[in-house]
Amino acid sequence: MKYNSFGYLIGEGFRSVAKQKKMTSASIIIMCATMFIFGVFYLIGENINFIMKQVESQQGMRVIISDDATEDEISNMETEIRSIDGVNQITFYSQEDALASIKERLGGNLEILEEYESDNPFPDSYFVTLTDLTLNTQVQEQIMQIKGVEEITARDDTMSSLATVANGIQMATIALLIILVVISIFIISYTIKLTVYARRREISIMKYVGATNGFIRGPFIVEGIIIGVVSALITLAIVGLAYNSAINGILSSSVIQIINMTLYSFKDIFLRLLIVYLVLGTGIGIVGSIISMRKYLKV
Amino acid sequence: MIEFRNVSKAYTSGLEAVHNANFTIEKGEFAFLVGSSGSGKSTIIKLILKEEEPTSGNIIINGKDTTFLKPSRIPYLRRSMGIVFQDFRLLPDKTVYENVAFAMHVVRATPKHIRRQVPMVLSQVGLKDKANVYPNELSGGEQQRVALARAIVNNPSMLIADEPTGNLDPNTAWGIMELLNDINLRGTTVVVATHAKDIVDKMNKRVIRIDQGNIIRDEKGGYDGEI
Repeated sequence: MKYNSFGYLIGEGFRSVAKQKKMTSASIIIMCATMFIFGVFYLIGENINFIMKQVESQQGMRVIISDDATEDEISNMETEIRSIDGVNQITFYSQEDALASIKERLGGNLEILEEYESDNPFPDSYFVTLTDLTLNTQVQEQIMQIKGVEEITARDDTMSSLATVANGIQMATIALLIILVVISIFIISYTIKLTVYARRREISIMKYVGATNGFIRGPFIVEGIIIGVVSALITLAIVGLAYNSAINGILSSSVIQIINMTLYSFKDIFLRLLIVYLVLGTGIGIVGSIISMRKYLKV
Repeated sequence: MIEFRNVSKAYTSGLEAVHNANFTIEKGEFAFLVGSSGSGKSTIIKLILKEEEPTSGNIIINGKDTTFLKPSRIPYLRRSMGIVFQDFRLLPDKTVYENVAFAMHVVRATPKHIRRQVPMVLSQVGLKDKANVYPNELSGGEQQRVALARAIVNNPSMLIADEPTGNLDPNTAWGIMELLNDINLRGTTVVVATHAKDIVDKMNKRVIRIDQGNIIRDEKGGYDGEI
């Protein structure tokens, strides 16, 4: 006589949403508002991370190779640096490359450089970029221990301040996420509490005829999920529209063109945001409904 | 079937509702639990349903000691019992048919089984023609019949009724009692808590009488003794 009652539970969940129209729409609106705020921060955070990545790939350190390093030591050095955690790319610049780039920067044949042609004062070096700017100090320490390294030049202060900014934004987004999740759970559990209260008689009868707690919870969890998912989809649409118009404004402004950075388009970020929202929505829905049920299951 | 061994129940307020109760109700028996209100008979019903835990002693149902039953197993214990209350406890927004079918959904019966079983039980309680009516369109006696149908629809081995005629006039009440007797004759153990003296006397069944938490009499007969 065991029978999969999935269909029955889902049907009951939808019926309850339909019956409690006012409360359901109220909680969907509030959920949308909190998810919208979160979405704005999330998108700002994602874009700042994106910009950080672009900056990071341009930032790097120059590892100056000592004049008396042998050919072997120089090539070993590359393998060793490559194996350090956090190193992104490593490029070799010979004395000649260094001279050439200086020449280019100074605009061609300056007399001052002529004597360098015969006696090049520039050292060989590696240019090392990082995957994560916070690892800057660690990587530098490790590189300094490699044989044949003379010194490292880097704009440490720029790198570390950028890293601090990025970390700060990440922390703020996480903190905000936690706060908003708590608020949303509270809201959704309150709504479901009202449905549960309206149906407490039914629940007590269910208990007497031998319904398991899982079976009783079913429709309310479905209700929570419906509220969560509907809110997620509505918010996603609103955020999408808002984001697109904001991005168009920003990208056409002169500032962003001068610093030569790009931002995510909504298309790039859509899938990630959809997943985040759906996970949040269903998660909040489930937790909220379980919280709201606890009291009434003790019969 | 239902066995109480030295069962006592004291509420946190300090009131001892049941004191050292001992009795056994065998399979297929019909037993009245009588006493004035506040005597402790409702507590005994609650103990059988495992809605309350005894303070001491053991309660054995269907050969199993329920004292240490895990909370997650309680629903399965209750599926072996049909339960009827004084206030019917029907769902007002569901029809008679749906109210009965509801109890089957809860135990995850198949739709096919539900479609076959519900009309059968409704005709057993004499409500075949009222399947699509809502409870508020029914008389008290009819509502209690729906509750009875709901209680027996899953074929429980015992039926527990807490003051089933408390809200009914004498004639209607007697109809319900005859129905309970009929259910009992089909093999279901029936336990009825009541303080309706005339009915108990007329039925002439086993009577367990409780007074201030103590079982003061347990024998076949009327409310006050042998007839």
